[in-house]
Amino acid sequence: MVRGSKEVLQKAAKTLSDILVCPLSKQPLRYCEESNSLISDAIGVAFPIKNGVPCLVPRDGKILEEEDASKPDNDAN
Amino acid sequence: MRAVSLWRKQPFSLACRCCSRTFVADSASKLQIFDRQRKRAQRDRAAWFSPAQDPLLHSVSQNLVDRLQDCKKTFPTALCLGGSLQPIVSSLSTPPVNGGVEKLIVMDASYDMVQACRNTRRASSDNAVKTEFLVADEEFLPIKESSVDLVVSCLGLHWTNDLPGAMIQSRLALKPDGLFLAAILGGETLKELRIACTLAQMEREGGISPRVSPLAQVRDAGNLLTRAGFTLPGVDVDEYIVKYESALELIEHLRAMGETNALSQMNNILKRDTALATAAIYDSMFSSEDGTVPATFQVIYMTGWREHSSQQKAKRRGSATVSFKDIQKQFGSQS
Repeated sequence: MVRGSKEVLQKAAKTLSDILVCPLSKQPLRYCEESNSLISDAIGVAFPIKNGVPCLVPRDGKILEEEDASKPDNDAN
Repeated sequence: MRAVSLWRKQPFSLACRCCSRTFVADSASKLQIFDRQRKRAQRDRAAWFSPAQDPLLHSVSQNLVDRLQDCKKTFPTALCLGGSLQPIVSSLSTPPVNGGVEKLIVMDASYDMVQACRNTRRASSDNAVKTEFLVADEEFLPIKESSVDLVVSCLGLHWTNDLPGAMIQSRLALKPDGLFLAAILGGETLKELRIACTLAQMEREGGISPRVSPLAQVRDAGNLLTRAGFTLPGVDVDEYIVKYESALELIEHLRAMGETNALSQMNNILKRDTALATAAIYDSMFSSEDGTVPATFQVIYMTGWREHSSQQKAKRRGSATVSFKDIQKQFGSQS
């Protein structure tokens, strides 16, 4: 039951993520299932999804660690 | 501080560097009038305290939503910016739905406010309108360009540091021919409290500090809409006078609405006798015969549309075929 409702919540966050962008760079966001967060690759910040509600206030975002952030950066260098 | 650490941690990619550099410049140059973090905390508190039905907020949100009935267009996707969230969400989502709203995105900077709104939405049985919830800041709107048909903000935008910036972001989020609809508190709001606070502080402390926030004036509202690039701007003003038993009830109400002072340079100390003197001055200067004290709330309603080719426009300069002199000859003799 709990798992079922969690899936519904995640689905809701996913459908919403079609129109969501990063609040700072206005670039698209990527949904990460592992950490249940929305990741802005452009600035390397993860925004948490609390209870199915994405929190996109810049202050709530966590700066990603180097190894995570460097992945999309590889081709830039 | 935060921006600097963002920049330091991302020294590799060129794109990142540009991004964070503009972010640093932005936050340094912007004048911080309001403490947004404090406002968030106040709105959290308001979410716990606010009564189910606040008459003032209810009438403002009804007034705002009524404007949708005047439009022939329908607005399938609506975005509701922060502010007094619950009344506006309930008036937008209870049938008969105004303006043909099918999907409503509810946004606020306070997580507790969003959660409270979600709980009431769950408890209600009607599912005519699909609602989605989101925690975000109006100053950093995380909505893709041209993706919503309607942006509604009910008494929230007067707390933004960069009001034109927030309005420009809402305009970009709108689809062409989308409607921006906002209610903000105007400069006449709480003028009685402003006077009473000033007098009490001068008397007890020998100086004044701002106790009531600076607010936009009516004449600014039109300029704001034009500056943000909205077409067919419209501004109108409503004044609500709410009667309280005493000034203390007024403060309680402001707390429950989350409308208490959030200036970033405000004086954090309010002495007990200054507060009581304020209440006494308020009572002696403004009380009416029936023993209540009035408080003015001036609400500025702003409407603006995103540009679209179907909208009416002024004709090009010099394209007239009739001279004003001829018009005067024709009609001038009558007056």
